This record gives sequence, structure tokens and C-alpha cells, in this order.
Amino acid sequence: MRDGPVLPRLRERSPVHGLRRRGLAPLEVFAQSVSGAAPSAAMAATPAIVAASAGGGTVWSFVVATGLALLVASCIARFTRRMAATGGLYSLTAKGLNPGAAFASGAALLVGYGMLAAAALTGGATYLQTLVARLGGPVSVWVPVGAVVAVGLAAGALALRGVRLSARVVLLVELVSITLMLVIFGLLLAAPPAGPELPQPSPGLGGIVAGVLPALAAFIGFEIATALGSEARRPFRTVPRAVTWTAAVSGLLCVFAAQTQVVGFASVPGGLAAQDAPVPTLAAAGGWPWLTPLLDLGLTMSFFACALATTNALARVLFSLARDGVAPRAFGRTHPRFATPHVAIAVVVPVLVVGLAATVAAGMALAPLLVFLLTVATGGFLVAYLLVCLAAPVFLRRIGELTWPAVAATAVIVPILLAALVAYVVASGGTPVVVVLAALAATAVAWFVWARLRRPAEVAAIGVYDETVAADVLGDTGRAA
Amino acid sequence: MTTPRDPLPLSGRQPRAVRSALAVLEEVVAAGPGITAKEISAALKMPQATTYRLLNLLVGEEYLVRLPDLKGFALGRRAARLAVPVTTTPPTAARAVVDHLRGLVRWGVHLASFGAGQVTLVDPDPDHPPSDAALLARYPQVSALGRLLLADQPEWRALVRELRVFTEHTVSSTSELAARIDEVAHDGIARQCGELRADRGCLAVPVRAPGDGRLVAGLALSGPANRVADPNTELVALLREHADRLAPLLA
Repeated sequence: MRDGPVLPRLRERSPVHGLRRRGLAPLEVFAQSVSGAAPSAAMAATPAIVAASAGGGTVWSFVVATGLALLVASCIARFTRRMAATGGLYSLTAKGLNPGAAFASGAALLVGYGMLAAAALTGGATYLQTLVARLGGPVSVWVPVGAVVAVGLAAGALALRGVRLSARVVLLVELVSITLMLVIFGLLLAAPPAGPELPQPSPGLGGIVAGVLPALAAFIGFEIATALGSEARRPFRTVPRAVTWTAAVSGLLCVFAAQTQVVGFASVPGGLAAQDAPVPTLAAAGGWPWLTPLLDLGLTMSFFACALATTNALARVLFSLARDGVAPRAFGRTHPRFATPHVAIAVVVPVLVVGLAATVAAGMALAPLLVFLLTVATGGFLVAYLLVCLAAPVFLRRIGELTWPAVAATAVIVPILLAALVAYVVASGGTPVVVVLAALAATAVAWFVWARLRRPAEVAAIGVYDETVAADVLGDTGRAA
Repeated sequence: MTTPRDPLPLSGRQPRAVRSALAVLEEVVAAGPGITAKEISAALKMPQATTYRLLNLLVGEEYLVRLPDLKGFALGRRAARLAVPVTTTPPTAARAVVDHLRGLVRWGVHLASFGAGQVTLVDPDPDHPPSDAALLARYPQVSALGRLLLADQPEWRALVRELRVFTEHTVSSTSELAARIDEVAHDGIARQCGELRADRGCLAVPVRAPGDGRLVAGLALSGPANRVADPNTELVALLREHADRLAPLLA
């Protein structure tokens, strides 16, 4: 039946050597993913956006979005149970689809994480400014500028100092922020209704479906654990669990937050959708104005954790692209002591911070800037999710482990993600988002063409991951003859 | 280390799943590295989906590894812990080096190998009997030799089963142990003062293969606990010199 064992030559060290292999505890990996999804911020902000389309069906939009996120997580788990990657979805996609698609995923992830990191910095600055103003501090454009610079550099320094340290900071900050949110929303849900419930216009199925796209945007970043494959202890168990649990927990928190807010505004004309700042309004109505600064604090912390987690992921995607030979090789270097991709971090963070600080200093209002950055990020993530879901069954077929649930999951999720992508492009029609996305896509294509011409061999072999090395295998057979 | 949990009672089809998992492990050993999931499924006449799940579980627990093509499987390093390590007597030339050191110092001199992820004494000092071999193998964190082994493994936590306290000096918290392990990795020497027996202490240095630097053995000095805490510059230099001489003989 077998022609004898075919033992491929094993390397003495992993192609992604230099990062601290197998050091992160499961909770630390999980915290990174949760912070990427930033459920606290999503709890406070997204229900009102979703309600604009879904009205009284807001909760259902979140339930559907959670289901979709879990499906994407299941596609991601097909890879992460079998391989430990450093480049996140990009490295995974490369094992299923051709180098062009993998490259597209890499570019989409760079846009996604880059914009999400910028959005997190902007969000943190927004709520810090509000908090400072509420506590009687100065109102000036320099408060958010200072916050962007300080928070950005702090995130960069922590990311540089070591993945373990930054993971622990993220874990602590996210834990405090989610606890704050649960307390706030628990109090609000327990509050007596302000008046008789008004009949809500029924959103219909169309409304709920339209609400799914903004609800799905609440999950972006939940896959960050995939970039920590080589650094996680027991990665084949930890990473898929971290991603799946993040989708489930974020979904549950968002459904809870949406329910609180829909109920809270049931007696107000226009309902939740008409609200500009729903949670502070509810807090004031409930007679707990002191909840509002607490909310600002929680959100600032959540955004800080999100900035830190996305910086880690962004640097690792860039690191993997460099190790693959399609990005400048310097990005593939690691710090000898801290075992982090220090060159990638040292380049990316200042560029983000300076660009963002300049934009804010030039007088761009924070709220529209945050929406813009999140919208662009969502575009990047939608592309990356679509590609990884498409790649999953192809990958399984390639290694001879295809099963029907894998095909079924892809058959369900890919058309939905495609529809979401189309809806997204249509919704952004005529806004600067489309122009920016087109420019980014053109840059990516030009980059790919350049790489194909200058480094054809590297492009063909794209997709390094933390493969099994001689020392991982028992017995002398592991050593290359 | 895992926190103790209530073991779930085996129920329903679980006994069959355990048998199947063991059969999968055996099949990988029998067929040799490179066997694919489909081949295992065919050889064991097991449904494919079940085989894939068991394989992913065993890979997740690191008893098996996937080879770089992601198709083939081989036994992982963790599987070594399923077998009793075979004690091999070191070559005469190596024993001569250890005896030479014994002639120079008044402390006990022990040589241990680290095969199978365990401390195995291969040349204990006959004049200064070391602690019980089973204790050393079971609680690597309390001996200097065991700490050398732990410091060499990124996943050392998996090897520390229980932070058992032997004396008032025994390290009893994971964070403190982690700091000690980091020190060992940094300094290239492990020490333990009265943590296993209140009156004894130990110093140990690694013996590394000359080519690739992998850890093959550890050379230890055991003496009075209060003396081990001293810098012992000359003793350490002597210990390192003999470890270097052992390297080409043991690797």
C-alpha cells in the first residue's frame, strides 16, 4: 500500500526563527484576540449604527453576525489546528490559494491592521479628550494629538519589549475595561423603563440583513491570535480556541449591549437609531451621571489594548512578508534579546503615529476620522476573511484531509462575505473611502507586479510558517540525513 | 503544569476514542515518519473524519507533529515521555573525565543525561550518593540538573508536574521558578541550595554538543548547602572545563 516512508528533509531551525517560540500562555493569546476585536468599544458604539438599518431587529443583526464570525473562525481553525503561522491569515491563505491571492490577503491585512491600529489610537484619543473635558481639563486640539503620540509610542515600546509583556498588559487592560462595561450595562438594563414602550417600526428581514454588515464590523480583529502561532504554547490547540472563543464572547457581549440599548430607548421616539451617544443618555436618564466618565475610561483602555494588539499583529504580518522575500528584508529581522520583529515595529509605529497626529493637528474632527479609519479597515478584513474561507477546503484537499463540513462552511460563508463586500463597496460609493481603497489596491498590485518581476522564485514559494524542525521530532529520523 | 480538575467519568463512546487514539499513535510508529492521514485511516479501517480529528488532537497535544509538507506525520518530542528512558553507561573516556574531576574536588560529582526529557543519572558519585533517581526524574525543578533541562526547553512548564515543597527553601511559586529558569538560561549554570534536602546543595553546568549546541548532559557538583550559595569561582571554572571535555565524548 505504501512505497515506504517518504521523509522530507527537516530544517534545523524554523524559517520564522528569532521570535520567542512557544512561550505565550493560552490566556495571553486569547487576550490579544479579544483586544483586537475590542468588544467594549463595539458594545458602546455599534448598536446605534446597526439600529440605523435594523431598528427593533438590532439584536437579531448581531446574532446573525456572531454566527457568521463563528463560521469564519471555523474556516480559520482548519488551518490553525494544523500549522502555526506568524503572518496571520496571509500565511494561512498562502497554503490554500495561489501566491497572488496570498499576496492580496497580506496587503488586505496590512491595510486592515494598519487602519485598525490608527482607529484604536483615534478612539483612545477621542474618549480621553472627552474624559479630560468632563473632569474640567483644557479643551484643545493638543489633547488628542498628545494622546495619539503618547499612546502610540507606549504601544510601540511595549510591542518592542516583548510579546509576553505586551500580552500581559493587554490582558489586564482588557479585563478591567470589559468588567467596567458589564457593570455599566448591567446597571442600565436593571433600570426601570422611562415610560410606556412605543411601537417600533418593524425593520423587516431586509433591515436585519442590512444591519449585519455594521454588526460584522464589530468583530474585526478577532483573528489576531493567528499571528501568534509560533509564539503560543501548544499553538494547535490554543490559537483555534482563542479565535473561536473571541467570536463567541464578542458576539455575546454585543448582543447583551444591543439588548440593553434597544430596551433603554424603547420609549423614545426614533428608538436607539436616533441616538448620538446612547450610553451616556441612558446613564443620565437612569440617574447615574457618574457612569459616563467610567464609560470614557473603559473605552480609552479598550482602545489602548486594541492599539497594542493590532501593532503586534501588523508587525508580524510585515515580518512574514519580509521572511517570504516580498517585503524589504530588514522587516524580517528580530531583536536578539526581546525576540520581537523590532525593525518592523520601529518603522510602522512612527509612521502611524506621525501621520495620525498630523491629521488630527491639522484640525480633522476625531469622530468622522474614527468612522473613516474603521470603514477602510473593515474593507481590508472583509477581503482577508473571504480569501481565507475560500482557501480552507482547497488547503484540506491539498493535504488529503478534505471533509464535507469544511466544504459546507465555505459554501455558506463565501457568498455571504461576497455580498457583504459588494454591499460595503456600494455603501461607500462616492465617499473618500472608495478613493483610498482604490489607491491602496493599486499600490498593492504595483507591489505584486514588482515582486513578480524582481523576485519570481520568492513569490512562487510565498507562505513561510513555523514548520516542524528536527528538534520537534522524536528520534534520529528527525535529523536530516 | 495544568491545574487539577475533576476527571470526567468515561462515558459512551469515549473508551473507543481512547483506543483509537492509541492505535493512531502505534500506526505512526509502525509506518515511520511521513505517513499521511489517509494512509492511517485506511490502515486502521477508521472513518476518515474520525482519523483527522484524532490526528489534530494528538498534534494539538504535541504527541505527533506534522512534517513540513503538512501531509505527513511523525512522533513528536513529547511522545518520548511515554517511554521509560534507557540508561546507557557513558563511554569509558567520559567516565574517566568525571573521575578526574572527583579526584580534584571534595564534593560529589554526578553526570546526568537528558534523553527523553528527563533527568537520568548515568554516572552518580559512588562516594557521595545523590538523591533518589525517581525524585530527580519526577521533580526536575528542585535539582540543579533538572533546572538545566528546564532552561533548555521553551515549554518547560509542561515538564513540571507539581511544585512539591521538600524544605523551607524549595521554590513554591511558578513565577519564582520562572525567574530561576530564566537565570539558568542566561548564566549557563544552575544552582540549588537546600531545596531538596536542607543540608545539601548543587551546582550544575550543561554539556552541549560541539556542533549544534544541543543539550546532551549535565555535570553537577553537590555539597553543603551553605557553600553552594557562595560564588565558588574556581569550582565553577573547574566544572565548566570538565563539561567542555565531556562534550565531544557524549554528543
